[in-house]
Amino acid sequence: MTENEEPGLPTGPGDSGGEVRPDYRFVPGALARSETGNSPEGGRGPGAQEPYGGGRGPEAAEPAPAPVPPPEPVYRLSPRSMMTAPVNLLKGFAVPLGVAVVVGNFNPWVLGSVAVAIVGMMLSGLFTYLTFSYQVGSERLEIRQGLINRHRRTIPLERVRGVDITSTLLHRLFGLAVVKVEAAAGGGREEEGKLDAVTIEEAERLRRVLLHRRAVLRGDTEGAGETAAEPGAAPAADEGTGEPGAAHGSPEPETVYFTMPTGWYFYALLSLAHLVTPFAVLAALLGLIGQVIGETGAAEEAVGWLLFRDVTLLIGVAVGTIVVLLLLMPVFAVVSYGITHWGFTLRRRGGALIAERGLFTRQSVTLEYRRIRGYELLDSPLERLRRAVRLRAVVTGLGETATRAMLLPIGDRARVEQVIEQALRPFRGLLIPHPGPALGRRLFRAVAPFAVLAVIAGGAGLYILAGAFAFVALLGVPLGVDRYRSLGHGYDGRRVSVRSGSLRREQAVVGREAIIGWTWSQSLFQRRSGLAHLELAVGAGSGGYTAIDAGFEESVAFAATVTPEMVRPFLERSPEPPDGDGAEGAVQAEEPEGPAS
Amino acid sequence: MVATVLSLIAWGMVSAAWPWVPGWLLEHVWWIPGVYLGYALVKTIVAPRWRYRVHRWEVTSDVVYTRTGWLSRAWQLVPVSRIQTVDHTQSWLERMFNVATLRVQTASYAGSSTIEGLDAAEAQRISEELAVRIGEVRDDAT
Repeated sequence: MTENEEPGLPTGPGDSGGEVRPDYRFVPGALARSETGNSPEGGRGPGAQEPYGGGRGPEAAEPAPAPVPPPEPVYRLSPRSMMTAPVNLLKGFAVPLGVAVVVGNFNPWVLGSVAVAIVGMMLSGLFTYLTFSYQVGSERLEIRQGLINRHRRTIPLERVRGVDITSTLLHRLFGLAVVKVEAAAGGGREEEGKLDAVTIEEAERLRRVLLHRRAVLRGDTEGAGETAAEPGAAPAADEGTGEPGAAHGSPEPETVYFTMPTGWYFYALLSLAHLVTPFAVLAALLGLIGQVIGETGAAEEAVGWLLFRDVTLLIGVAVGTIVVLLLLMPVFAVVSYGITHWGFTLRRRGGALIAERGLFTRQSVTLEYRRIRGYELLDSPLERLRRAVRLRAVVTGLGETATRAMLLPIGDRARVEQVIEQALRPFRGLLIPHPGPALGRRLFRAVAPFAVLAVIAGGAGLYILAGAFAFVALLGVPLGVDRYRSLGHGYDGRRVSVRSGSLRREQAVVGREAIIGWTWSQSLFQRRSGLAHLELAVGAGSGGYTAIDAGFEESVAFAATVTPEMVRPFLERSPEPPDGDGAEGAVQAEEPEGPAS
Repeated sequence: MVATVLSLIAWGMVSAAWPWVPGWLLEHVWWIPGVYLGYALVKTIVAPRWRYRVHRWEVTSDVVYTRTGWLSRAWQLVPVSRIQTVDHTQSWLERMFNVATLRVQTASYAGSSTIEGLDAAEAQRISEELAVRIGEVRDDAT
């Protein structure tokens, strides 16, 4: 037992020193030991306990690979999913079935077939439960499905990119959650493993186990490692090797950075999108009602009744409805925003940030620090007026970034910055404003198109239209000025920040290691005024951030300061070492070898 | 080709002289193919030569550097350690002239670089060297 135990024990890797064991994959000792622990799942088997006490080896064990934990037993979905799956399926068919019943005039044949369909769905739930199983192996997650058409999906744990847990209202009634395992397939395609549904505890456990095993397989001692966004002053409890916690089978230490204060729901009023959403919902509802009325022939009766009434009354009712709707708009906005963002929390667990939100459907997104390359701050002029801002993470390999990379809802800038300070690595530098000619270019861009339209309209004799265009062109002046004012780029020694935009201002902050390329582009007009767009390529988020109309030579020196090893060799005159003021280095080098074309 | 079509249209318009076509347009209708011809001449004769003068590339052990464009220009630096794929392609036209295109891709659309019109053997050699080098220095590459 003792020799088997060694790699699995907390002290194991430290003791084994540099000794390289040929195969750590099967460690009976570890499995046996974990069986003695208290299982939080209750009857879920030995795997409910993480059987990898010493997995997160202390730094002393650096040379020896961390032991790969043994495979877990095969699990099934929660039996309660037999209830939720058919109901979810039924939701899709409820309307057609209902219509069939109504149209069929409650004909026994129709009723009978509907009943058969419902029973079939129930049976399919049972069938899914009986045939669906999953297993966390030492190197891969296997999901088996189907009785006749067997389907087996294998996801290598190294390729797991994230584990999302979503729980709809229905699932929550049964204490269930859907686990989605996101993985990068060979060709960059996204592959997903979906477990619909397991108990909430099991979902949390799976997330922990999967992310931890992957970290072990990749040879990270700590999930976060050397990434850009990991907090500098991280809580000590998290930075530890996790040794004691894991040994006792307790969940990894957790730090809560943010929980939604009540006042923040009212920030929905600053977002046009949320103000408009209720109308979209209303339109859909009216369409549905219209359809139903049209089918039953109630429409003619209603119109007849309305025509019988006074026309003024009719108009009064219509106007009244619109006024009420307008008054209710903010209420709707706050309510709909509240439903999706209810109880927003941001916390850190181990090497990952977890953002959770939602009133009915609870969505929880895990963003690992090793995948976070930086963050984005977004705001509109209206939000700037109220000093509100949105925070989004820049994450590698994350789809649907608009909703899933969200770290904080719209909120007070000071508080957001406080969270950045705690949860991420903040940008501490100053943004360099872009040179004067950039203002001219921004103004020209904002004003010229409408000015030209105004002139054309004026020439054609359409004076009202010309006036309208001229007005819009005038509005372009403050817009252009504001766009210029928001331009800037900066470097604080570790992170680069780029800001642009006015109606949707975006400030991106990424670590210098995250930069995977520089591109300068210069149009004919920019060349005259010595400006260029500098785009920094980042293998995360939107893929690149552009410093619009930066001074060309200044931007070259800037890039050389951020990544000297990448830029310096190509400079004719190398700027002084990083903190020097060698701002005159220029990329004019005519390379000797270049038989182009 | 396009010039011929435009000329035909212009000729057709003049000879048909529909009443709904304004007179000032008919008078200057030959400007349309004329302007296009001028543009085409610039595009086929001036631009490639100009481009040839502007385009530069250099592959060091750590960075792929390219300069492209003619009226507007772009400079691009891609570190070898972040390269995901190296494509070496040759279309039938390129094969006739014994040149090739080398395309270097990273995890970001903004970090992808293309070198066109390389000598075929040279492109082959560079792509192989890059592949070896990537294997040596590659990290997570994102």
